[in-house]
Amino acid sequence: MTYGALILVFCTLALLPWALLPAATSGPERLRGRTAVVMLTTLIVLCVLTVVFDSLIISAGFVEYGAGALSGIRLWHAPVEDLSYVLAGVLLLPGLWRGLEDPRRARDHLAMLVSTSRPVSWVNTAYPFAAAYLLTEHRVDDLLVVGTIFFLIPYNLLMYGINDVFDHESDLLNPRKGGLEGALVDPSRHRGILVASVVCPVPFVLYLLFSGDVVDAVTLAVSLFAVVAYSVKGLRFKEKPGLDSATSATHFVSPMIYGLVLADATWTWSTVAVTLAFFVWGMASQAFGAVQDVRADRAAGLGSIATVVGSRRTVWAALCGYLAAGLLLLTSAWPGPLAAFLVLPYVVNLVPFLRIDDDSCETANRGWKRFLWINYVVGFAVTMLLIYSAWD
Amino acid sequence: MNLLNFLHLGALGFSLVGMVVLDARFRLFFFRAPARAGAVMVVGVAFFLLWDAAGIVHGIFLHGVSDMDSGLLLAPELPVEEVVFLTFLCYLTMNLYTGLSRLAQRRAARATPDGHRGTDA
Repeated sequence: MTYGALILVFCTLALLPWALLPAATSGPERLRGRTAVVMLTTLIVLCVLTVVFDSLIISAGFVEYGAGALSGIRLWHAPVEDLSYVLAGVLLLPGLWRGLEDPRRARDHLAMLVSTSRPVSWVNTAYPFAAAYLLTEHRVDDLLVVGTIFFLIPYNLLMYGINDVFDHESDLLNPRKGGLEGALVDPSRHRGILVASVVCPVPFVLYLLFSGDVVDAVTLAVSLFAVVAYSVKGLRFKEKPGLDSATSATHFVSPMIYGLVLADATWTWSTVAVTLAFFVWGMASQAFGAVQDVRADRAAGLGSIATVVGSRRTVWAALCGYLAAGLLLLTSAWPGPLAAFLVLPYVVNLVPFLRIDDDSCETANRGWKRFLWINYVVGFAVTMLLIYSAWD
Repeated sequence: MNLLNFLHLGALGFSLVGMVVLDARFRLFFFRAPARAGAVMVVGVAFFLLWDAAGIVHGIFLHGVSDMDSGLLLAPELPVEEVVFLTFLCYLTMNLYTGLSRLAQRRAARATPDGHRGTDA
């Protein structure tokens, strides 16, 4: 990574207060214009001071740079890149200062963004990435840390922020939203959610892109496309039966694939089998999750795999998916076959709903709640297996 | 180690004290909203230290050796002078920003004689 790339990453990171704290950008237009002028003036003064004092400090030999890191453009003795420090400072600090003027407002807004990002799902995307990267690379490095943080929060904020804004009409008809399983948001906050959802991932994505090769970049692009295409207006893959389940599965499997690709893993049959099993498990889970919403979705004129093929057949399809995942795992290398048994709790969870019909589709919500907890138990078991396999 | 080793640190400390004096005299930053200023300062310094860490990991920043440095390192390639400098830089930025905001506001208030007062930035 070059100094220029690092500057771009941190200057976009410095924009976060403006995207995350509503008070930073609020106020009458006249005052906002004045703030921009004041920030620009501050920047100019700081740039002049930087050129003078940086040159003096560099002449005295306090700072050195690695070979090839700089563009070579200098203002007196100061490398032009050093002006990025004051640029980032002028972006970051006044944004924070203004954004924190009303602490309660800032706290409320951040709490809303956190709830939008579904904290209960954070680990579902961060863990597959971190496990895949760590088991391949066998060391903790900057990419592991940046990637894990990215897939923990910004990735989920992007996914669910876009989802909540574009889902608003159907969510109004759905009494289930507003708690653990989904946040219901006021339309007046839509703009703030969209801005935060889109800006927050940028510095992380840039860091990952600058650190990887073309294959890494394409993998990440596919992952991000699936996140956006799931619910954004015009694409709405979540309403296209079949595509909805596949896109949802991509949300959870693509962080793992990205972890493997970023760490340059070799693709054995075993790796492919585990990836496919995870994907089929994800499709089955999304399909089952859609069952409880069949009536609400139909009333709102929305489509899903469950509204098209019906509640009962969707439950059976999910059952087949879980069993297929188990069979795939049986073909993987030891201790992969042990993980095949972990599909059993999911299969058992479906049994009460094998005779469900569309009129009683809401009862599937009990199964969905159990599913969320089974994930934690099974996730723990998977972790034990991964540690065991890493031991060998 | 002699007095010369603390020349850089001393110069930075002296500058930092200057920022505190300006702040106290004109109530710009900590002397205006201590909790908010503290939060801005902590996040700001942490942000720049993270930037330094990333630069060091990628081999972009190297710590030069000078007779005027104390030689005290907080982490590999991270001299204590850097932390004091970053604190000073954040303080200077915010003193400038809040000070210039107030000047701009006064000028706007003079331009509209009915004395409409906008919120201080």
